[in-house]
Amino acid sequence: MKDDIAQRRWLRSLALKLGLSTVAALGLAIGLMAALALLPENARGASESQQVQSDEPCLACHGTQDLSMKLPGGDNLRVSVDAAAFAGSVHGGRLACSDCHRSYSTVPHAPVRVQTRRDYSVAQYEVCKSCHFANYTKTLDSIHYEQLSGGNPIAPLCTDCHGAHNVTTPDKPRAQISQTCSACHSSVYKAYTSSVHGKALVGEANGDVPVCTDCHGSHNIHDPRTVSFRLETPALCARCHSNSNLMKKYGISDQVTKTYLQDYHGVSISLYQKQEGGAQPSRITATCTDCHGIHDITSTDAPNSPVMKANLLKTCQQCHPDATENFPEAWLSHYQPSIDKSPLVYVVKLSYSIIIPFVIGGLSLHILLDIWRALRGK
Amino acid sequence: MTEKEAYFVRFNLGQRIEHITVMVLFTLLVLTGLPQKYSGSSWAQWIILTLGGIDITRLIHRIVGVLFAASTAYHLVHVTYLVLARKVRPTMLFNLKDVRDAIVTLRYCLGTTREYPQHDRYDYRQKFEYWGILFGGGVMIATGAVLMFPILITRLLPGELVAAAKEAHTWEALLAVLTIVVWHLYGAHLAPDRFPADTSIFTGKISRERALKEHPLEYGVVASAPHKPEPKPEPAAEPPR
Repeated sequence: MKDDIAQRRWLRSLALKLGLSTVAALGLAIGLMAALALLPENARGASESQQVQSDEPCLACHGTQDLSMKLPGGDNLRVSVDAAAFAGSVHGGRLACSDCHRSYSTVPHAPVRVQTRRDYSVAQYEVCKSCHFANYTKTLDSIHYEQLSGGNPIAPLCTDCHGAHNVTTPDKPRAQISQTCSACHSSVYKAYTSSVHGKALVGEANGDVPVCTDCHGSHNIHDPRTVSFRLETPALCARCHSNSNLMKKYGISDQVTKTYLQDYHGVSISLYQKQEGGAQPSRITATCTDCHGIHDITSTDAPNSPVMKANLLKTCQQCHPDATENFPEAWLSHYQPSIDKSPLVYVVKLSYSIIIPFVIGGLSLHILLDIWRALRGK
Repeated sequence: MTEKEAYFVRFNLGQRIEHITVMVLFTLLVLTGLPQKYSGSSWAQWIILTLGGIDITRLIHRIVGVLFAASTAYHLVHVTYLVLARKVRPTMLFNLKDVRDAIVTLRYCLGTTREYPQHDRYDYRQKFEYWGILFGGGVMIATGAVLMFPILITRLLPGELVAAAKEAHTWEALLAVLTIVVWHLYGAHLAPDRFPADTSIFTGKISRERALKEHPLEYGVVASAPHKPEPKPEPAAEPPR
């Protein structure tokens, strides 16, 4: 009898232990799975194949061509995906549908709470952030984000430049970059393709000339109409135009930045840059683009170049309206003074390089003699 | 009053004011101009930014430049009048004696002669500095005017003149600064018989002893000829006390 009770007690405690262990094991398993689901994408490399496999249920419906839905605002939102295009994109085989399109785990899906197609895209803006955090953060500094947060719905989102399902490497080929920008900035692109830079890019697939992003940046594109952008212009152009090897290749002077900075305009702009923050410059001073043009910049030999001798006066008159015919020669056209280019300036410089040491040397000698006299007690 | 404390009045009030004016204006021009020439260096940028930026620095430089031009013009007109009206002797003009004095002085310093030149109101070193400042000032005023009005100038003259004026303005300025630092600093302050400073341009007074030693032809004449007929040498009009 006594044994019977003891055995029953033992069995009861065993059942309790088993039950508790099962609950604990189950809890642990669920917890692990949840943790896995929350881990960032790259940390889950091992489970990649299963993830991609999990697209198949989505494609059962969304793989159908021309599947679309009517949004409350009246737009037709196409909800079919070109599986082949996605597979060929940089994300193909790496991301699952649900990595970007979250909260569609139940079928039928919860109703979409947007009015228009654009609203849907804007609502998806943060999706890229979970992997591309650095570039996402950069965009928050950009003129595009400033526009977007100010309520401009057509300001570009990640997907407007990079595509959504068909994301490719943005600079393959390099000309692709400027074409991307041209989707919105078509008139600028047109001017650019007629410029010395754009012609070389589009016509010759030249890898040296700047594309839009070389001057404007890519994700943190700033407003180019600001004073600070203006003040940075010489440094921007100097990145290429002070590069001796690069300029030699095209037979262009690499002294342009130096000669600019030595003269009145350049001195002003360098110092405005230093006083920025404290006091804004009280006036505008000419920088590279004011004389050479911006997107439509041409070779200085081109007949329509604003810095061509025949056109130079008009260019100066933009800021100096009263300037007359002789005025442009006051600027030495990026040349260091030489006997051929500006003899008068050269002769003045040469004369002083002789006079100053001669006079100061002579006076010093006289002083030394006088000191010697004093030392001898005379 | 002992003989030692006796002095001549060497500079009248107007001359002393002129010296202080040129001293202040020159310093301000150097302070606002030299940083523009060396605007790439950090000390220059510090001065410019402390003054409130390049626009204000240029404005101050131009205003002071105009004042300098005005003081130079006043001086030239005034001195020309005084000389032509025979109120002063033209003692600043160079003459052959100055060339001789320079040679003799150098030989004296070298120890090849015991003779020491007898100077008039101004010795050749003082004349050199006066004409240096006057001529250099003229260059600075002319080129500064070209730089201040480039559009007006190029209506009549070639544009390269503006660039040449800029070149001349900066180098002439450097020459002036170096001359003052080397020559004036030594001649008026550091020279053994001047140290720490020759104060006569501020007080107007020169001791009788120094006057007779350094400018015997001026003060010797005054001292030994109290009945000297007019015109009296203007700056030393007061008799020694």
